Amino acid sequence: MMGMLEGKVALVTGGRGGIGRAICDRFLREGATVFAADLSAAGSLSSPDGESRFVQLDVTSEPSVQAAMAHVGDEAGQLDILVNAAGIEIEKTIEETSLEEWNHSFAVNVTGTFLTSKHSLPLMRKAASAGASASIINFGSYDGFIADPGLAAYCATKGAVHALTRAMACDHGPEGIRVNAICPGYVDTPMMQSFFSGDAVGGTGKSEETLRQAMRDVHPMRTYGTPDDIANLVNWLASDEARYASGQLWVIDGGLSAQVQQMRL
Amino acid sequence: MTRLAGKHAFVTGGRQGIGRGIVVAFVSEGAAVTTCGRGPRPDDLPESVAWHTLDVTDAAAVAQVVQPMDILVNNAGVQVEKTVAESTDADWEAVIGPNCKGVFNICRAFIPVMEQGSIINIGSISGQVADPSMALYNASKAFVHGLTRSIAVDHGPRIRCNAICPGWINTGMLEAGFDLAKDPSAARNDAIARHPVGRFGQPEDIAAMAVWLASDEAAFASGQLFTLDGGMTAASPLNPGLF
Repeated sequence: MMGMLEGKVALVTGGRGGIGRAICDRFLREGATVFAADLSAAGSLSSPDGESRFVQLDVTSEPSVQAAMAHVGDEAGQLDILVNAAGIEIEKTIEETSLEEWNHSFAVNVTGTFLTSKHSLPLMRKAASAGASASIINFGSYDGFIADPGLAAYCATKGAVHALTRAMACDHGPEGIRVNAICPGYVDTPMMQSFFSGDAVGGTGKSEETLRQAMRDVHPMRTYGTPDDIANLVNWLASDEARYASGQLWVIDGGLSAQVQQMRL
Repeated sequence: MTRLAGKHAFVTGGRQGIGRGIVVAFVSEGAAVTTCGRGPRPDDLPESVAWHTLDVTDAAAVAQVVQPMDILVNNAGVQVEKTVAESTDADWEAVIGPNCKGVFNICRAFIPVMEQGSIINIGSISGQVADPSMALYNASKAFVHGLTRSIAVDHGPRIRCNAICPGWINTGMLEAGFDLAKDPSAARNDAIARHPVGRFGQPEDIAAMAVWLASDEAAFASGQLFTLDGGMTAASPLNPGLF
């Protein structure tokens, strides 16, 4: 079977993290050349490297972003797919959040998306001018629409990513570059694990499994997502099947935000 | 590729346009497809596709065609170009009948016999932002969006339910609209300029999303509205470049 991304070149930031790693693995199976960009080769997981090519990248540093793009340009000559999956989460209200923490959240989640997208454009244009549509996929969140308690800075950064996604789609659509955001709900990643042990839900005296079951039960699909569930939609948006999809926020959350209901953990 | 192999799909409104695009895509992905419309079987419908002559507003007639399905697509729809003040009782029946009651009839009849599966409703960007002089149509699509969320919440995890919200798709309906403009060519160019991807959609564009939502890859997707409009509604309608 022909892969959906045969001949395409992809760069995934946060490419060694929970969701990023699943995206890299899926892209490889679909025939793409994949650069996994992350702070370290292990990312936030302790499992061994995948088969993606590792690029050291700090998305908050412009020289680091420029060096990563130069590396992709040297090795592949163009970039068809950019996935901005690098992100961090600080589990605090605004009162508890220091200015330094606030700035760091925006530096990774928003400025990082800005910098990698900005410096990917010359390579994306090369891919688009070859006739295919180039695709940028940002990571928003359902938290950009409705707030989780104790996640103020995170919610704000994701709202910023949503607006940036629409702006980039308008500005660069005429060049053949599609821009969309994926907005996951709860996905079983190191970030979710951290949420379970964080102040918002930790200290309740309940076992992690009790919390996990409560989280499953609040979803219409009675489960939270896996990184592969998210990679499935990222793959589609990256592929030429999505050639008319641009400027949208794609919520994938097991039905969570379709209902008027609060988490009761 | 055969991402829908072994699955049985029921698609309403498969005579033409988006519905036909979905029927063709489902067949090429290996699904057994049944479709329907108010008239006789179209001559150009692929031989393997089953056809029912069916008015979806007739609940008793819908009950006659119910059988277990893995995939249900509510695509059949009608639009009438009028404001609220211009709309007659007959216009109400013409639009609300198929677009609201029809979708409800089909879902009510099929959900109990679907062991598990995916329901895909065709909503519209017009259900979220208003097209001028399309009052009943806009409202009918907002109904579809609300029903989509309700089905996802009430009938998950057995059934996933999502809506696709197409923008301007190249069907006969769109060209007929431009032909009515004072300067059809200028109207067409202005409309294209409002699309970041530089063109109108094709039925195949919508069918590609329908295939994904129908497939097992979309196992975590439920209760959502997926807009496919070439970027149009991501931009403010007051696009300064157009003045």
